Amino acid sequence: MTDQGLLIQTLVELADNLVDDFDVVELLSLLADRCVELLGVSAAGVMLVAPEGEVRVVASSSEAMRVVELFELQADEGPCPDCCRSGEAVINEDLATAGGRWPRFAPMAMQAGFRSVQALPMRLRGSIVGALNLFSAEPGALTVADVAAGGALASVATIAVLQQRVAAESRLLNDQLTHALNNRVVIEQAKGVLAERTGLSMEAAFEALRHYARDHNLRLSDVARSVIDKSLPPGALA
Amino acid sequence: MACHRLLRILARIEDGGPGPARLCEVSADLMAMTGAGIMLMSGEVPRGSVCSSNEVSALIEDLQYTLGEGPCVDAYRQDRPILEADLAARGAARWAAFTPEALAAGARAVFGFPLHVGAVRLGALNLYRDRPGPLDDDQHADALVLAGVAARAVLAMQAGAPPGRLGTELEGGADLRFVVHQASGMVSAQLDVSVGEALIRLRAHAFADHRPLDEVAQDVVGGRLRFA
Repeated sequence: MTDQGLLIQTLVELADNLVDDFDVVELLSLLADRCVELLGVSAAGVMLVAPEGEVRVVASSSEAMRVVELFELQADEGPCPDCCRSGEAVINEDLATAGGRWPRFAPMAMQAGFRSVQALPMRLRGSIVGALNLFSAEPGALTVADVAAGGALASVATIAVLQQRVAAESRLLNDQLTHALNNRVVIEQAKGVLAERTGLSMEAAFEALRHYARDHNLRLSDVARSVIDKSLPPGALA
Repeated sequence: MACHRLLRILARIEDGGPGPARLCEVSADLMAMTGAGIMLMSGEVPRGSVCSSNEVSALIEDLQYTLGEGPCVDAYRQDRPILEADLAARGAARWAAFTPEALAAGARAVFGFPLHVGAVRLGALNLYRDRPGPLDDDQHADALVLAGVAARAVLAMQAGAPPGRLGTELEGGADLRFVVHQASGMVSAQLDVSVGEALIRLRAHAFADHRPLDEVAQDVVGGRLRFA
């Protein structure tokens, strides 16, 4: 039976970690460790589905778990790939009788010491973000309450992953914006240098920079930099 | 903040269609401010203005761009709201060069709110009023939401731009002070100094003459002002 106090404490702890610059792998590793304590399973792990569709193991509470999860991905067979594909939970599947469903995964996982497996989907509306995987050494390890608690933990993990993706996208866009702005500044500066040294108008200076870049198969911003650092004499352009 | 107010903000911005100018108009209007502006910053310095709702807002942004100090600059650098309820009060001396010029332009209270999405910092939302007085709690809360909306709107303007290029709306709708950089290039050639140093000379000239940097730059580009 799940300890309600510990569950709430864990949810608060996970939420506290959702600050501006949190590390999603660290957070999911914390989640995996807490699942083992809270739900009484032998091992826990998190797999994420990348926006392009590729599935990766992101966190595992033990090395045995990691090896089994990696095997699942290689064999493309097991509760985690099933859950990531369908978005449906796999609950208390007994490996001793699962040979039909997973002919390669079931014997491999049993050899690694596991007996029952579950995978809870990390899902927001239509999209499947990943799966929270809980493996036990005994059959039928999870109660209904455990499954509900695991679902709550999976929800927090889902929010963490989505928030991290928004942050990463924002960072990328901001980097692109700064880069584009810097390029523009360099080009405007070079127009000024060229206009002053040759007497060309700003528009004519820009045309000269553009022609030179095109004729020499160079980037406009690189040509501009060469004009500013004087490695390209104005006479070469005008 | 009341949920309906947030929805009103979002609805107003979408109603206006795309375009940076709309963001500032809506901000000033909803906040019951005299004017609003959005300043783009990176590498700790102002890079330009995404929009400003009126001439005084534009001037307040100009001043900060020229002088490198003011509520937006502080809001960005310290990543927190900067509230100056009365520029004429003694405490406002924190911006020695900015304050007298902003007062002369007609601003009495100025507020800067950082633009960020998570840990990504983009610039600041600038609000001013022609009479002194603090923001009330609702206005403060609204400004935080507006700054968040503005930050995402600016990033959305850059989304989909070809590599190394500015988004179309920023290229066309924002004032990114291209003339200042053209003038820096010219002055660097006139004095045979680096473009960085040329920009410092231009700023110093604008400061000494109490003129916006843009105006000085226009004179340089137009051949009316030479540094050598």
